[in-house]
Amino acid sequence: MFFHIVLERNMQLHPRHFGRNLRENLVSKLMKDVEGTCSGRHGFVVAITGIENIGKGLIRDGTGFVTFPVKYQCVVFRPFKGEILEAVVTMVNKMGFFAEAGPVQIFVSNHLIPDDMEFQSGDVPNYTTSDGSVKIQKDSEVRLKIIGTRVDATEIFCIGTIKDDFLGVINDPSAA
Amino acid sequence: MRSKSEEMDDDDEEEEEDRSSRKRRRSDFIDDVAEEDEDEEEEEEEEEEEEAFGGAGRRRRAKRPSGSQFLDIEAEVDSDDDEEDDEAEDDFIVDNVADIPDEDDNRRMHRRPLLPREDEQEDVEALERRIQARYARSNHMEYDEETTEVEQQALLPSVRDPKLWMVKCAIGREREAAVCLMQKCIDRGPEMQIRSAVALDHLKNFIYIEADKEAHVREACKGLRNIYAQKITLVPIKEMTDVLSVESKAIDLSRDTWVRMKIGTYKGDLAKVVDVDNVRQRVTVKLIPRIDLQALANKLEGREVAKKKAFVPPPRFMNIDEARELHIRVERRRDPITGEYFENIGGMFFKDGFLYKTVSMKSISAQNIKPTFDELEKFRKPGENGDGDIASLSTLFANRKKGHFMKGDAVIVVKGDLKNLKGWVEKVEEENVHIRPEMKGLPKTLAVNERELCKYFEPGNHVKVVSGTQEGATGMVVKVDQHVLIILSDTTKEHIRVFADDVVESSEVTTGVTRIGDYELHDLVLLDNMSFGVIIRVETEAFQVLKGTPDRPEVDIVKLREIKSKIDKKISVQDRFNNTISSKDVVRILEGPCKGKQGPVEHIYRGILFIYDRHHLEHAGFICAKSQSCVVVGGSRTNGNRNGNSYSRFAGIATPPRFPQSPKRFSRGGPPNDSGGRHRGGRGHHDGLVGSTVKVRQGPYKGYRGRVVEIKGQLVRVELESQMKVVTVDRNFISDNVAISTPHRDASRYGMGSETPMHPSRTPLHPYMTPMRDIGTTPIHDGMRTPMRDRAWNPYAPMSPSRDNWEEGNPATWGASPQYQPGSPPSRTYEAPTPGSGWANTPGGSYSDAGTPRDSGSAYANAPSPYLPSTPGGQPMTPNSASYLPGTPGGQPMTPGTGGLDMMSPVIGGDTEGPWYMPDILVNYRRSGDDPIMGVIREVLPDGSCRIGLGSSGNGETVTAPSSEVEVIVPRKSDKIKIMGGALRGATGKLIGVDGTDGIVKVDDTLDVKILDLVILAKLAQP
Repeated sequence: MFFHIVLERNMQLHPRHFGRNLRENLVSKLMKDVEGTCSGRHGFVVAITGIENIGKGLIRDGTGFVTFPVKYQCVVFRPFKGEILEAVVTMVNKMGFFAEAGPVQIFVSNHLIPDDMEFQSGDVPNYTTSDGSVKIQKDSEVRLKIIGTRVDATEIFCIGTIKDDFLGVINDPSAA
Repeated sequence: MRSKSEEMDDDDEEEEEDRSSRKRRRSDFIDDVAEEDEDEEEEEEEEEEEEAFGGAGRRRRAKRPSGSQFLDIEAEVDSDDDEEDDEAEDDFIVDNVADIPDEDDNRRMHRRPLLPREDEQEDVEALERRIQARYARSNHMEYDEETTEVEQQALLPSVRDPKLWMVKCAIGREREAAVCLMQKCIDRGPEMQIRSAVALDHLKNFIYIEADKEAHVREACKGLRNIYAQKITLVPIKEMTDVLSVESKAIDLSRDTWVRMKIGTYKGDLAKVVDVDNVRQRVTVKLIPRIDLQALANKLEGREVAKKKAFVPPPRFMNIDEARELHIRVERRRDPITGEYFENIGGMFFKDGFLYKTVSMKSISAQNIKPTFDELEKFRKPGENGDGDIASLSTLFANRKKGHFMKGDAVIVVKGDLKNLKGWVEKVEEENVHIRPEMKGLPKTLAVNERELCKYFEPGNHVKVVSGTQEGATGMVVKVDQHVLIILSDTTKEHIRVFADDVVESSEVTTGVTRIGDYELHDLVLLDNMSFGVIIRVETEAFQVLKGTPDRPEVDIVKLREIKSKIDKKISVQDRFNNTISSKDVVRILEGPCKGKQGPVEHIYRGILFIYDRHHLEHAGFICAKSQSCVVVGGSRTNGNRNGNSYSRFAGIATPPRFPQSPKRFSRGGPPNDSGGRHRGGRGHHDGLVGSTVKVRQGPYKGYRGRVVEIKGQLVRVELESQMKVVTVDRNFISDNVAISTPHRDASRYGMGSETPMHPSRTPLHPYMTPMRDIGTTPIHDGMRTPMRDRAWNPYAPMSPSRDNWEEGNPATWGASPQYQPGSPPSRTYEAPTPGSGWANTPGGSYSDAGTPRDSGSAYANAPSPYLPSTPGGQPMTPNSASYLPGTPGGQPMTPGTGGLDMMSPVIGGDTEGPWYMPDILVNYRRSGDDPIMGVIREVLPDGSCRIGLGSSGNGETVTAPSSEVEVIVPRKSDKIKIMGGALRGATGKLIGVDGTDGIVKVDDTLDVKILDLVILAKLAQP
């Protein structure tokens, strides 16, 4: 799920960035530092949409660095248990398949794939229904439900299922 | 009517007969009296040599009736016995509830009446009837005789009762001893004042004798050769009951529990209990048959089967059709009680392919049965749904540890009325678990027996495996199949199957097993093919090893047996700027694929560093790099050396005024402290001393030599060479660098003489002192080849033997004063001489300290920092240098300190393979970027560079290489070697062994065996 929230961060700025462009430098550094990161609490920071407030800088003894508390608005993406997502399959193996929804990697175990779909090894490993009408392979788009998340400091990993109503392949590249 | 189980029972017995019925039976007697009657039956039926052992078996339990009443089981047995025994016996049984008769003759009488019966050759039918009748009765008896706890308590021995004495007897003769006592009693009658004698089968070497006084025991034991009456121990009253109580294995055998067979063909096999007969101590179990149909067919057809026990047929479900094909008669019979149909083949019962077998309770074990998945899987045969599984959990549950359930655990009820009710654990009492049910409308908490509960997980839970083979692994639950969970491992992204019981919910992320055999995750190991690497992952049976190839990360899967050994050496190497790197130092990688990464060094081997970088995601964070492509972070010279060329370094040096002496002084004052403060990059100067050989100068161990094992503040722990012990000595009481002892002394002679400068030697500074002294006195001294150091800052002048040269030479290198070059020739002269010769002293210990960078670091510490970076020892400035100074451009900086600096002793040099190259040694010539080429040094030029003949014999092209591009080839065991440093410099010998970083060398000339640092040994080129 996406959220638009306000976060705060203490930015350390090297003295060489001081000057007229200090603010720009600060913001660009913030973007560089923050966008694409992941925190367990908020999920992935997708984009910074604005700066709320830059506090007073504090000069660090000895280094000359200045610390600014920066409040910024950003869009974060955090997957939740039970959430339905659309994702792109990135890898298929006999244990299931991996899919990605933006920065989040989701694993769908073969136990969580409908029983009538079987793994077919070969050049393009895939899961296929017995009648061959539905096929999950790399680059397929699937709709899945997240049933578990594991949140590390730098990564969010989910397991999902497509063994439910209205879940499964939504766009098959091979059919197209 | 004969019940099914009865029949099975019989054939079971027959089967056992086939094997060693004798042995089994005997043990039965012993273990459990209750079993006795059955065995008797068997005996009757079999009509065989019961006397031989039966008698002995029974006699064994000579007990005073009253004392053993509290044994429930025996009471039970006894009732059987009574019926069966003749009236005559009754006289002996003082107490009605008494157990086995206590006197020998008693037993005999008991037996006697049976004999005629056996002779009568009763027909089987009659026998069967009789058995039936007896068992029927015994059932009743059992209930009648149940005693209450209070009654039992009343029977416990008190102070007034006779005591129990433990007497030693010959091993294996315990029973014999008891029987002898019994015999003696019979013979002597009332003379014997002991009450009873007991031999326990589980107790070797001792028997118990019941008597009022110790003297009685002694008296009784007199003259019996099996009993050693010297030592008679009284059994405390409290323990008396324990002696005689039979561990009532309260095996809670119930249907559907999993058990394992203890004996026979099925030994170790998993079985499921289908029926329990507590009275007869028999259980009917369901097994996967191990039957060789062919053999069975042969047997049934009367063909002789070779009775080879070697082969145990694999477990396989019985296929009736197959059996029929082999013309085995299969009868289909209906069990009269249960109404189920069984196939009867040759007396064995089968159903659904399983073998149903009735066995004694003792032949199965029900404790700690942990069926594996495979086994369970097999049992879940055709047509059986998962239901059986859940039920069978009862055994699994029985093995739960205490504290299995914790508050907050999600659980599900698996048995009883509340089956499938989910809830959370609120409170755990002994057996009962209070749960808060999930369903509404139920009481707030319910008390449920622990056994009816099972942990409950939902897909998506993150769990950790806390027991079983996968212990330690974590992952997310993907599927819940009854009590079996399928988990997606966090690290391997593979599926793991575990029992719900074995996991707990956890947010932790771990790998699971981290160790196989002696090898653990992150160990440095030597592999079969002499390559080496770090274990970066432990799999079930193999390791993933990051090989020690610096160019590109190479990961191998290695089996346990392919690992030769663990490498656990404390080695230090040099980084690009000749800083010493030891493990745990933080280094930065300057080149190669991982350029820019940095982290602590975990392992060092053959010049390869394994660096652990937390941020490196591959290979468990390990990076493999050559030491030469790394730099110690914060290392004493890194700053100055960053730019990597000598100019800059010198430039740096030139600026700050430096007075070398002072540092020494200071350091001298408070060696440990000072040095400590100055270490850069976290390298303790402890390390420098640790492992070095020192001599104790003062105190009780004066004169001893030893190796420093540890430094603790002001104290040093030294492992003495001459004695197998480690002693603690004050730092000031030792002098190091005795390895090459001569120099040491010399040094002192020179300069330090009087003020015992030496000892403090290990304090880095100290060495410096000498030089100053020397300055005036012995110029030569300085001359010693300033070893490794030089290499660092001035690769071209590594060898420079005499300091004189140095000055001239160095300057020359940087182009300052060419005119000096000519001076070099003298140096030549120096190179050649072995250190031992005339000025052997030079390499002396005092210098050595200077050699190690860290020492120098400390020495300089007082001096302005810029200096530090620059080669401390390096600049060979000689004391006299004054004269030279003018000439040498860079000169001044070095001059002053020089005296101190130049000394670097070979000893220490040891760990820095310094530029003491010598002709005729095998080296690797490594032009930057190229692969190393083997070559032989033909000549060492005065500027330190070498003329190398390429090829292993040096016959190839001759090149001139700066010493920095030359690497000595480390000799292996039994190689011919040349000694490059120390007193024996120049000598040749044979490496007869390697011990850590030391090589054991047999010197050719003297045939002496020396222990020398490996680093000063070079492989000698074979002519």
